Amino acid sequence: MSKVLEIKDLKAKIGDKDILKGLNLDLEEGKVHAIMGPNGAGKSTLSKAIVGHYDVNVTDGEIIYKGKNIVDEEPEERALDGIFLSFQNPVEIPGVNNAYFLRTAVNARRKHLGLPELNAAEFLREMKALVTELGMKPELINRSLNEGFSGGEKKRNEILQMMMLEPDVIILDEIDSGLDIDALRAVSEGINKMKDGKRSFLVITHYSRILDYIKPDYIHVLKNGQIVHTGGSELVEQLEKEGYSSFEEK
Amino acid sequence: MKLDILNALDSSSLLKEFNANSSKSIAASALAKIKVPNKKTEKYRYFDIEPLVSKDWKLCEVKEQNVEASGKKIVIENGALLNSGDIDGVSVELAEFSDIDAEHFDGLYFLSHLMAAKAIVIRCSKDCSFEIEHIYTSNECLINYRVVILVDANTHCQVSDSFKGEAKGSFILSGYDIFVSRDASLKFVKTHTLNSANYTPIFTSRYKVDSNANLKLSSFDFAFDNGLNIFRVELKESANIDASHLLYATENSKYGIVSEIVHEGKSSTSSQIAKSILDKKARGIFDALIRVQNSAKWTKAHQNSKSVLLNSGAYMASKPQLEIYIDDLEASHGSTTGQLDEKQLFYLQSRGIAKDDAKKMLILAFAHEIIATVDDEYLANKIYAQFEQAYYGTYELDCMKTCNSCEESVLGIDQ
Ligand SMILES: Nc1ncnc2c1ncn2[C@@H]1O[C@H](COP(=O)(O)OP(=O)(O)OP(=O)(O)O)[C@@H](O)[C@H]1O
Ligand SMILES: [Mg+2]
Repeated sequence: MSKVLEIKDLKAKIGDKDILKGLNLDLEEGKVHAIMGPNGAGKSTLSKAIVGHYDVNVTDGEIIYKGKNIVDEEPEERALDGIFLSFQNPVEIPGVNNAYFLRTAVNARRKHLGLPELNAAEFLREMKALVTELGMKPELINRSLNEGFSGGEKKRNEILQMMMLEPDVIILDEIDSGLDIDALRAVSEGINKMKDGKRSFLVITHYSRILDYIKPDYIHVLKNGQIVHTGGSELVEQLEKEGYSSFEEK
Repeated sequence: MKLDILNALDSSSLLKEFNANSSKSIAASALAKIKVPNKKTEKYRYFDIEPLVSKDWKLCEVKEQNVEASGKKIVIENGALLNSGDIDGVSVELAEFSDIDAEHFDGLYFLSHLMAAKAIVIRCSKDCSFEIEHIYTSNECLINYRVVILVDANTHCQVSDSFKGEAKGSFILSGYDIFVSRDASLKFVKTHTLNSANYTPIFTSRYKVDSNANLKLSSFDFAFDNGLNIFRVELKESANIDASHLLYATENSKYGIVSEIVHEGKSSTSSQIAKSILDKKARGIFDALIRVQNSAKWTKAHQNSKSVLLNSGAYMASKPQLEIYIDDLEASHGSTTGQLDEKQLFYLQSRGIAKDDAKKMLILAFAHEIIATVDDEYLANKIYAQFEQAYYGTYELDCMKTCNSCEESVLGIDQ
């Protein structure tokens, strides 16, 4: 089975605090990986490290994506190459039109892939179809990016971006938090639609509910900056029953 | 002619110096008292006034000439009326003008009036919308002229103020005296790109807003060189001013606003918002006072200045001030200066948008709030274009940035 993303002995700090402490994780092509772990364990930090967030200072180890170490790459290079992170807390950007922003992003990616850019009409038609699918209010695409969006609207907007950008590796940081039942179903369906046997997913969550929908191939337990256990979907039940204490740090 | 030597003269000698008749005596005595500014003058503390007042200027003669009267635009070239336009309800004439603001704080306001034998007086007696275009072509001289706008009672007008031309090394001393009569309204939108090594403008104005009248003042200044906008506003009972200022300054430009808004009448309201984007070694100026006199009970006054510095050499002199002589009012002011938001920048980058493009997006977004106050969509788009031209050096027409009508037609959004 080929690996799209290999994280090798990753150590990272935020400020002068060690957060990731020699983390190892491989993402397989076409598979859904879930990460669960206690608050503050370093899950969001891991996802930020993968996309090159300025908060995270990688001090050691490698992140190999499609065969090359991307630790020193700019965030936009990683994105253009197909890495996507749905943020736990998407930022609001007043004054940047949501549709205009997304078309700029989509066309940057298309250009990078050698595809022709979409004009406004083509883009809007595609976007509109997805907006309906996700059960988003159509007016959201004419508003400023995430500004005044409810928590659930922000999450759906992240999924909309994911679907439009068609990335190869998708990291979802607590996409299910704050979603109502219908939103959770719509978002999960969106994610499932993206499964094509090649694309890989890294789903960070605290709840088993979303995993019922998107059926992970692997569950990883992240504790104190390391992956301490990896198993199949049966692990969810054990975690629900016993919590994280039975999983020891290495 | 050197301007600073005028400070030696008393008011009657000032009148003589400019061959002015007694209609200018208010200007002469005020100037004799508050003087032509120099580097110690408080209101000019952030600006380089010295070179302008110490230079020996050749005066640009304002010729009275045949005035055209066609189109929807009033055109003024080097201070002379070129075209008075053919606008329904709007009359334009050259006239002696004496109703100046004796309380003005600016010496150059009085000097400008003293020097201008006649003013271009524009009277709006019907609802109207038109443009005033200022063209400058004379190099190395002092171009002084005055424009007066009278908006009659219960009349609603929009004026778009624009600028053209090259007048290398010249000093433009000008400004408006605007009277918005009772129950009338005026939307005044000024858009000015000042290229480097061109002229230096000092616009020094007064706006009088009568009871129940409304003045909406929007200024868009894109500056590569020095210039100053000075104004004083009087608000009568239940009068309102909404002032929004967008400044983009770069290179070595020192540019900005020095203003006073005076609440004279009760229940008057004012709001003044400045947004400044400063690059390279530019210095932005927002030195703005709102004064609430003891006659002005139940007023509301809000003032805010936000600046973004794009370069460590850039600087913002932001001094919003409230001076209040009563307790019965609602007032606030604030000022922030910072860099672009790192989180926002990262978010855009994480979607594959290159850092420079992401920065441009955020700058445009910052400006958006001010540009969006212009409700005339055609004008707003022109301002976007002019801003982008100044900021990017090019302008790429993309309706999605500013309007959503095409989306509406594609998407059929009609709620
Ligand atoms: N910007 C920051 N400054 C200081 N400390 C930070 C910062 N970001 C994260 N941390 C710290 O790093 C540790 C790991 O945080 P992280 O957000 O990765 O946890 P998490 O596993 O995602 O938790 P949760 O389940 O609550 O989302 C925490 O102790 C947190 O306080
Ligand atoms: Mg987290």
